[in-house]
Amino acid sequence: MSTAQRIIRFTLNGEAIAASVAPHENVVELLQRLGLHGARESCGQGLCGCCTVRVDGLAVSGCLYFAVQLDATCVDTIEQPFGEDGLDEVQQAFAQCGAFQCGFCTPGFVLMSRELLAANPEPSEDEIRHYLSGNLCRCAAYPEIIRAVQLAARMRRARS
Amino acid sequence: MTPFELIEPRTLDEALRLLDPADPGVRPAGGCTALMLMMKAGMLVPTRLVSLRRIEPRYRDIVASDDAITIGANASLASIEHSARVRDELPALARTLRTLANVRVRNVATLGGNLAHADPHMDLPPLLAALDASVQVQGRGSSRYASIEQLISGYYETTLAGDELIVAVRIPKRAARGCAYRKVTTRSADDWPALGIAVALEREGERVRAARVVLGAAVDRPTRLLAAEAALQGTRLDETSARRAADAAADEARPSEDARGSAAYKRELIRVHVRRTLLEAWCDEPVGAVRQ
Amino acid sequence: MTSERTPGPQVGRSPPRREARAKLSGRAPYVHDLVLPGMLHGKLARSTRPHARIRRIDTAAARAIEGVHAVLTGDDIRQLIPQPYHGPAFHDQPILALDKVRYAGEPLALVLASDPHVAQTAARLIEAEYEELPAVYDEVEAMRSSAIVHDVLKPAGTFPDLKHLAGKRDTNVALDFHLRRGNAARAFEHAEHVFEHTFKTQQVLHLPLEPFVSVADPGERQLTLHTASQSPSFVRIEIARLLGWPENRVRVQVPFLGGGFGAKVYVKLEALVAAAALIVRRPVKVALTMEEQFYTLTKHAATLRIKSAVDAEGRISARECEVWWNGGAYADIGPRITQKSGFTAPGPYDIEHVSIDSYALYTNLPPAGALRGFGIPQLVWAYESHADMIARALSIDPLAFRRKNLLREGRAQATGTLMRDAALDTVLERLAQRMRWDEPFERGSGSVRRGRGIGIGFKASISPTTSVAIVSVSADGSCHLLCSTVDMGQGSDTAMAQIAAEVLGIAAEDITVVHPDTDVTPFDMATLGSRSTYHMGNAVKRAAEDARDRLFALAAELGLAPETTPIPEIFRRKYGMQAGNVVGQGSFVPSYIPTDHASGQSSDVTPFWMVGATGVEIEVDTETGQVKVTRLVNLADAGRTVNPAIVDTQLSGAAIMQLGFTLFEQIEFRSGQVANASLADYKIPGMHDLPPLIENEAVTAHEHGGPFGAKGVGESGTFAVSPAIANAIEDAVGVRVTALPITAEAVYRALRASRGEPLAQ
Ligand SMILES: Cc1cc2nc3c(=O)[nH]c(=O)nc-3n(C[C@H](O)[C@H](O)[C@H](O)COP(=O)(O)OP(=O)(O)OC[C@H]3O[C@@H](n4cnc5c(N)ncnc54)[C@H](O)[C@@H]3O)c2cc1C
Ligand code: FES
Ligand code: FES
Repeated sequence: MSTAQRIIRFTLNGEAIAASVAPHENVVELLQRLGLHGARESCGQGLCGCCTVRVDGLAVSGCLYFAVQLDATCVDTIEQPFGEDGLDEVQQAFAQCGAFQCGFCTPGFVLMSRELLAANPEPSEDEIRHYLSGNLCRCAAYPEIIRAVQLAARMRRARS
Repeated sequence: MTPFELIEPRTLDEALRLLDPADPGVRPAGGCTALMLMMKAGMLVPTRLVSLRRIEPRYRDIVASDDAITIGANASLASIEHSARVRDELPALARTLRTLANVRVRNVATLGGNLAHADPHMDLPPLLAALDASVQVQGRGSSRYASIEQLISGYYETTLAGDELIVAVRIPKRAARGCAYRKVTTRSADDWPALGIAVALEREGERVRAARVVLGAAVDRPTRLLAAEAALQGTRLDETSARRAADAAADEARPSEDARGSAAYKRELIRVHVRRTLLEAWCDEPVGAVRQ
Repeated sequence: MTSERTPGPQVGRSPPRREARAKLSGRAPYVHDLVLPGMLHGKLARSTRPHARIRRIDTAAARAIEGVHAVLTGDDIRQLIPQPYHGPAFHDQPILALDKVRYAGEPLALVLASDPHVAQTAARLIEAEYEELPAVYDEVEAMRSSAIVHDVLKPAGTFPDLKHLAGKRDTNVALDFHLRRGNAARAFEHAEHVFEHTFKTQQVLHLPLEPFVSVADPGERQLTLHTASQSPSFVRIEIARLLGWPENRVRVQVPFLGGGFGAKVYVKLEALVAAAALIVRRPVKVALTMEEQFYTLTKHAATLRIKSAVDAEGRISARECEVWWNGGAYADIGPRITQKSGFTAPGPYDIEHVSIDSYALYTNLPPAGALRGFGIPQLVWAYESHADMIARALSIDPLAFRRKNLLREGRAQATGTLMRDAALDTVLERLAQRMRWDEPFERGSGSVRRGRGIGIGFKASISPTTSVAIVSVSADGSCHLLCSTVDMGQGSDTAMAQIAAEVLGIAAEDITVVHPDTDVTPFDMATLGSRSTYHMGNAVKRAAEDARDRLFALAAELGLAPETTPIPEIFRRKYGMQAGNVVGQGSFVPSYIPTDHASGQSSDVTPFWMVGATGVEIEVDTETGQVKVTRLVNLADAGRTVNPAIVDTQLSGAAIMQLGFTLFEQIEFRSGQVANASLADYKIPGMHDLPPLIENEAVTAHEHGGPFGAKGVGESGTFAVSPAIANAIEDAVGVRVTALPITAEAVYRALRASRGEPLAQ
């Protein structure tokens, strides 16, 4: 079978790496193979956001992204550590607000909330709902998630 | 497993050469979002994907001239959404993009892919049809322009030949044009639309000089509702005339039944939402249009 | 040092979840992530027919694919396990289809390969030849249909409350439950008013974002299962039974679950991976896709007929309920749902004459099981819609009607069991206050009409079930809590640690909660039916008390002051160094008296009652029928709340889930085939579906039998959402919808019909 493997080189959470990938492999499958499990495939259709990663500064669904296309890019995942205790304001706020239950959707919500606050440091509740409307939480921790994003925004403002 | 290759040519010419009209397994690729969904579902088994992602950057530019805005087919939906030019001059397009799919999909999906996919539930084709857009199609050594109605010929069908690519979409500027698009979902808020209604109204004083009313999602391809358009011609737009046009729209439309609603119900939705969209379009005041 | 003895009260506070950091950094373990050396991935080929005899399964094309390690069918499984049938109520479900398929989507063959893509490609090549059989899909038709899903019914005899089930032939009725109290027939004859309505609910899906997944690892002496299961102890027993092994040769480990909601209970993929791994002697993982969840377990659709006799003052004197549950092709826990929910079918009302008939039926649809409420949301949908319809007909305020009829503390409920610590009245009154029910309400104008509605429901807990816990205190005073309760998002790790900490007088944060591992953590019936806080909570409390008593005894033996000596000091004095353990054990099984088979009567059907109520304010677009919930108020009696923040999240999470079940979620079937098996076509609530205002309240209450007065709450938020919305719609626009989901089209059609201009089909 000539599903030729290809060597790709990219930056993963700040570290340069090389990996051999098959053409049909998607980003989630590759990351799981590399031992990073925070991006997980759930719907497999771009709808739930469980597979969210950042490629060259843009959030994408890893389930709808060919791994070979990561060649020469910078990829950030939920495993990327922040600050002294490893968690950024968004993660701290999610912890404080209990903005998760089973946690399966949580990495996606954290990454998307981070994107939102980078683009819009003082989002209204409507803007939060709108930006996060492409992420699904079956445990429906939505009210807590909205509160967490608001808290994270305050924490970020207080810091800067 | 059927082997396939993903190639990322550096130029449009090279991309065109890599296409093969004789092999249905060879497909151009934009953001690959729709392609991957079809592959996962086993609906598409490609032998070669020709990604346009690394071709000349000009194919993702958004350029304004005196009489038109031209958007490269490779532009991501997010880049169009955030373009200041689009926001100023085609606010209805920017608004529509805001509710199209989600941030992650818009970050990678392209304008070309959205049009070439020809899924009847897509939001942009009806809107672009209402805006009288023309699609620039490039073949090996040939180039042509097609309207949206000419491009999309049926349910997931286009008139694109196997070695043709969409390279740009040209949206003409019109003086005093108001435009609106309504995505009507009937189940959860974020769903494929039961219907999409796009309206563009050109004003002359207090009257409608020309109207375009396009229905999407409920039919197998974006469809202009000509009786509704005719009913608007020359009228002063208000509740009564909007209602008359909406009734004409509901009478002429042939919506199909699916999980989002019966045909009879969708017809009633057309009646209500054509009226509401007309009134909204009448109040739409693009910055660019006013400046002209 | 983890030995501080008086950190203050632990129960009643809301420390952050202990797994917060792990979940927020993507590092929390799920079976989904597990990779073992040499592991094969299994992909299933599924039946394309709803009901057929299997003539032949053609696996040749699949075997020919390069990279395919093995292809297994039901016959291969039968070589290893002669009776490869499982199920909690009936041993009716084959591991892979044998002889016959009973629903479209039933597992037919398993392809094993190192590369899941290879396995998937091969699985698509498997074909079967069938001899089609007549099929039955509707639960009411299944009562009389000549299409018989199972030729013989084989009761499992596992649960004490289902011991009476007998094997039967030529029927689709898996279980019938009957309750007779007073003389309903006579009461109807003399009734002032009689009301009768029929309600319907649809099949919906649990849809945890982590789909079903299990891994089996065949070891030297032991088979280890890593599985996303809500019932590790049950899995161990059932797999051991299938294999004919002692329990201790099967080990079941469960890390975090990416949601469960009742789907991941009993045996799902575990028997399949166990058999496959033993056949090929390699670890085997089967991870279902989102699509495949639709072929695994759904929530029962039901038809509910309810009839009430009401006197001139608006008091209900008699009620008759008939309920048909669409159980799909395999009974799963359906019979228990039929029975347990039957107990409370007449609603939280004081009714003298009651007659209930409840039937669990087999049909040729995917199996149905427990989903957050164990049948209760279906019943509440019927009885609380019915309540408003009666109140309206009699021009009584819906709240006043409920007040008049409510079951009060100490009164006998339909089964004859007395109501105790069921804060029905407090919950209803707090709901009325929050809704400002006695104040005028803004009704909207033009095409936007506003309305409000309420509903209240209750539930008997699942009984009798057993929980066992162990608390182990180390020499430095730190503790391990060993229990098999599965934290699938409900926060049980945190809550159980709080209960143990309260007893031991240490901080909850200082306790390590060991995740279910049947080699280590003791038996627990399952994490379901909101039973854990009460049952496991009691076991944990007893285990902690046992550990504490042993520590105190040790201290006394050493001549130390038990209450004040730091724990490390006790160990040091005993062992001369930091060494040793004190292990406490606790178990809990509530009392239960089975209901009489003919009358359904028992003086002790449940250890506790759950109460949930919902109020909504809505807007209806009269031109489209679109309903928007603008305010959602959730009330519950959770006893004393162990962790108020977690209770809050449970309430709104459950209510939002039920909002989806109410307004749009629906598995669509065409001739027995699922027509919308994906998240693109089966919609669940997202951010934009969230009501702008959501309020939750657990009323001040105390459960006498619960640990520190607590009881379960995971399902209470679901109970009354659906009828509250239907009641609000009638309040807003005067039309009544009696079938779920309440789509915009259904409301629009009702509006047109009420204007005498029905919309054509
Ligand atoms: C979760 C999700 C939600 C979505 N919701 C919406 C929505 O609400 N509204 C909406 O309108 N859309 C929606 N979409 C569709 C999305 O917009 C399309 O997937 C996208 O536009 C396709 O773009 P792409 O660049 O990824 O195309 P690709 O997947 O790369 O290609 C799609 C098709 O177009 C062809 N093609 C691509 N580029 C060209 C070209 N330049 N010339 C000729 N042919 C070409 C390909 O061969 C293929 O047949 C959604 C998609 C997802 C995954
Ligand atoms: S798994 Fe990728 S978006 Fe759901
Ligand atoms: S926390 Fe479970 S899906 Fe979001």
